[in-house]
Amino acid sequence: MSSYKLITKIINLGPLLLLYYLSISEIDTHFENFFEILSFNIQLIIIYFWVLKRPEVLGSGHIFFAGLINDVVMGFPLGLSSLSYLIISLVATYVKNMTVNTRITTDWFTFFIAIFFSNLTFFILLSNFSDIRVSITEVSYNTFFTLIFFPFFWFLFTYYNSIITPNKNA
Amino acid sequence: MSSSRDDFGIAFRSALLQRGAAQKFSLVSLIFIAIIVFILDVYGFAFMKPIRAIINDGIYRVSLVASSPSRFLPQATESVSNLFNLKKENENLKKALEDYKQKELSVEYLTNQNKNLRKILESEESFLKKENMILSKVLIDKSSPYLKSIIINRGSKSGILKGMPVMDKDYLIGRVVETNYLSSRVLLLNDLNSRIPVTFGEEGIQGILKGNGGSKPVLEYLPEGYTVEEGIDVFTSGKDGIFLPGSPIGVTTSEGDVKLFSESSQLSFVKVDLTQQNEEAF
Repeated sequence: MSSYKLITKIINLGPLLLLYYLSISEIDTHFENFFEILSFNIQLIIIYFWVLKRPEVLGSGHIFFAGLINDVVMGFPLGLSSLSYLIISLVATYVKNMTVNTRITTDWFTFFIAIFFSNLTFFILLSNFSDIRVSITEVSYNTFFTLIFFPFFWFLFTYYNSIITPNKNA
Repeated sequence: MSSSRDDFGIAFRSALLQRGAAQKFSLVSLIFIAIIVFILDVYGFAFMKPIRAIINDGIYRVSLVASSPSRFLPQATESVSNLFNLKKENENLKKALEDYKQKELSVEYLTNQNKNLRKILESEESFLKKENMILSKVLIDKSSPYLKSIIINRGSKSGILKGMPVMDKDYLIGRVVETNYLSSRVLLLNDLNSRIPVTFGEEGIQGILKGNGGSKPVLEYLPEGYTVEEGIDVFTSGKDGIFLPGSPIGVTTSEGDVKLFSESSQLSFVKVDLTQQNEEAF
């Protein structure tokens, strides 16, 4: 019984572990060998989806910390990715508070708003407050492809959510 | 109208301040902390430098361990596919041998070209004379859509300073932009923030090699009306006093950009040149 609880707990930690792993490992989400402009940010999708659907599996503190790790690995000023992730989290929490039942289309549209504000903040802060120069085109491509891939991850995470949610019809 | 505005206000306040069952911090407090951390790091307060260096060293090591499965998997796949492709490999080796034979024929031409370039540089310091190199392993080469950089396992402990040139075999690949005690970050030549003074061609044309975020950096500040021809080797000019003159970088293409000799995604070990500087250049 206790081992069952432990397994359930580990499965529940899935999204959080994935978020940390993607932030700290060198797994690329920039597929320049296949298509030079193809890059997307899975972390943003993970944060948005799980904060919207089951905020208890992805605490704000963890989101903040994952952002700090991502900044160190990627070489950005500390706190930049955290801020970007927290903005996604803020929009997701707001949408959760304002809506009762959501579908993929509404989630997709609200994700667009979230990612727009998040990447806009990221770009403005990086361009104006640090020596690092990033191309607005690259940021736009990244935003576009993250948005395009959202439905795929939405179905994937919805399926995972249905596995980890006990007695959902009760 | 006012009711919908109230709803917006309530939902927004709730999103900012509410703490759920599993949430230990409110979003507003974390956003506030993130802004403070960002300001402290960007404006480089003295106490932040050692803190950041320690955090960097720690996280780079953890990242190396965390990335081992993702490194092992392609290696294992490659080994298996190599076993099945021995015949093809043999053909490739024969082709490579042919290429080397052809290259041997052009040695004389390259030697003359090298002599000409040295004359153009008019410098006693030569890339060929450098000795003080330090070999380092690439810890992380995460391909980011924004920054093209790698992390190496040598830092200030090994005498590495900001601005030092980094080579793959004999080819320049970038320069050190961040040093920690046990690790450093190398900005690659194809990064948007990279600018290197270069020289090329028999006439010793001077220019700036500018990273564009893609795989091939571009040449800028060339003489007016100059058209870049294909197949000309590009070298560092050393005009910035940071890079040794004559380090090979790449070859020009028909589009006017430069195909780098070293593939940035295939780096395992790199050499840091310690000879040029004694003090931090940045």
